[in-house]
Amino acid sequence: MRTACLIALFLCLGLSLMAQPDNKKEEPWSVNEGTLIGIGGYNIKDTYLSPLKYTGGGARILNERMKVVSWGDYNISRQQLINVDVASTSNPASTSNDLSGFVDYSLGYHYRFKPLPSLKILTGASVRGSLGFIYNTRNGNNPATLKADLDLNLSAMAIYQLMIKDYPLYLRYQVETPFLGALFSPHYGQSYYEIFNQGNDSGTIQFSSYHNKFAMRNYLTVDFPIGNVTMRAGYLNSLYYTDVNNIEVHIVSHSFMIGFVKEFFSLGGKNLKKKKHLFRSAYY
Amino acid sequence: MKHGTLFIFLFCLLLGGCEKADDFTADPRTNFNALWKIMDEHYCFFDYKGVDWDEVYDRYVGRVDTVKDQFELFQLLGEMLAEVKDGHTNLISSFDVARYWDWYEKYARNYDKTVHDSYLGTGTEYRKAGGLLYKRFAGYTIGYIYYESFQYGVSENNLDYVLLYFKDCKGLIIDVRENGGGSLTYSDRIASRFIENKMLTGYIQHKTGTGHNDFSEPYPLELSPSDRVRWLRPVVVITNRHCYSATNDFVYKMSLLSNVTLLGDRTGGGSGFPFSSELPIGWSVRFSASPLLDIHKNHIESGIDPDVFVNMTSSDIAKGVDPLIDHSVSLLLEK
Repeated sequence: MRTACLIALFLCLGLSLMAQPDNKKEEPWSVNEGTLIGIGGYNIKDTYLSPLKYTGGGARILNERMKVVSWGDYNISRQQLINVDVASTSNPASTSNDLSGFVDYSLGYHYRFKPLPSLKILTGASVRGSLGFIYNTRNGNNPATLKADLDLNLSAMAIYQLMIKDYPLYLRYQVETPFLGALFSPHYGQSYYEIFNQGNDSGTIQFSSYHNKFAMRNYLTVDFPIGNVTMRAGYLNSLYYTDVNNIEVHIVSHSFMIGFVKEFFSLGGKNLKKKKHLFRSAYY
Repeated sequence: MKHGTLFIFLFCLLLGGCEKADDFTADPRTNFNALWKIMDEHYCFFDYKGVDWDEVYDRYVGRVDTVKDQFELFQLLGEMLAEVKDGHTNLISSFDVARYWDWYEKYARNYDKTVHDSYLGTGTEYRKAGGLLYKRFAGYTIGYIYYESFQYGVSENNLDYVLLYFKDCKGLIIDVRENGGGSLTYSDRIASRFIENKMLTGYIQHKTGTGHNDFSEPYPLELSPSDRVRWLRPVVVITNRHCYSATNDFVYKMSLLSNVTLLGDRTGGGSGFPFSSELPIGWSVRFSASPLLDIHKNHIESGIDPDVFVNMTSSDIAKGVDPLIDHSVSLLLEK
């Protein structure tokens, strides 16, 4: 039911807005790249390790690239996100610690609408692969869990240009949630010794959807120029809930991000062969 | 207005991510219930040991309200855990470890460190490769290895050098007395040096849910022979009641080989692969979670009997004699 509602929401967003493609095929499309670092709070629970919630702090680095591609008459943009985050959390009594780390990469394509001159609405889908671990520094034979997920996500984004006198601010909100995928999970009381040393990995890769997994990433940013650079500040909220093989997991984080944005042109090999450089290169 | 509604919806989603962590509590009843539930849902030997865990709850819950401080609570919870009579089951706090050690403390030790040290000799009279102490007895004809703990690392190179050192010996003693266990990886690694062909060494099960009998199908455990230096001549494995956990597993694997004799006393057992959990007060709990079975799918939780029972008496200790080592040497020399 939740899946159907979310898909309907994304479809409605797409149908209710008039597509207004820009006729900019001849103009080169630059890549918008932002690299941000952030710190924030983490709330982690994995019943394979402990029935208790662990809380603490963490840091992350996020690289994002977005570019309009030629598909769909230049109404589709590609977004790539590479995220690395680490966290140190402790149990409520502060007698035990979890160390955790996650790496994920997502590749998404969005159809772009421009309902207002200063507003862009993007809806689409992405595929994300993530790999991580939670390591409990006190446990003996169940000291850690491996997290590995591959998901198809629904994604929507709004980018709004706000002018304060002559000073431009670019506000962006993006929400992304997986609706279909696969993930790794040991069985309820299964040791990693049995899985990896003895090879009993049956049932450790499970189909995932809203019946056993709910995840969401909310990303709010603002771009603002300072001197010769453009800075991006943001808030990233990541929610991850699973209930697989009778093991419940949640990983919730709130990160405040800051970094730089740059626009650049990527001259691929095809253009290099044709010597169709649109810009003066220091190298070629 | 339409876009305003959209942003309000998205903002609500964002707020939905906020969550408060569980609170610390030293409340005796809360912690008592938490411990009982952890064991109820995860412990793997209730039926095998004939423990009625609901009855245990009824018997202990009345005492919870009489607890005056955390030390009394710890004592009470430790007593409740001891009902399962399991050396892998502990309650661990910053001030104590609740444990059940009757499986070796109530039996003859059959080991004396001073006597054993006299057999090993001074520091230069034996060699040390990783966790293995080794030397040659009886005019260099019998090899001797003492492995004190499966927590001490043993590499493939360690084993190569140790076995090559014994290349002219006719028999080998592996003494694992007082070895309370450690890593199953080392158990497999060492045992693989003594087998000729790939063989079934037992089964492993795990809990699939919270019910006392929610177990997976037994999964066969197989051991392949090492492709490095191996030993296929006679072996005596010396055991006592303190051989537990990974040591119990190693002794069982060795007992399957025709050229191996077990000598000494019954092992302590401990065939439940232990997991950890914790209580809201911050104490750690350890318990048997995943049983290892023998090749007939029977439990080996209660230990493994030797082929030859040999005891060490107080008189032996007074004389500085280790009859288990002496008997092993004689046995190998006769072969």
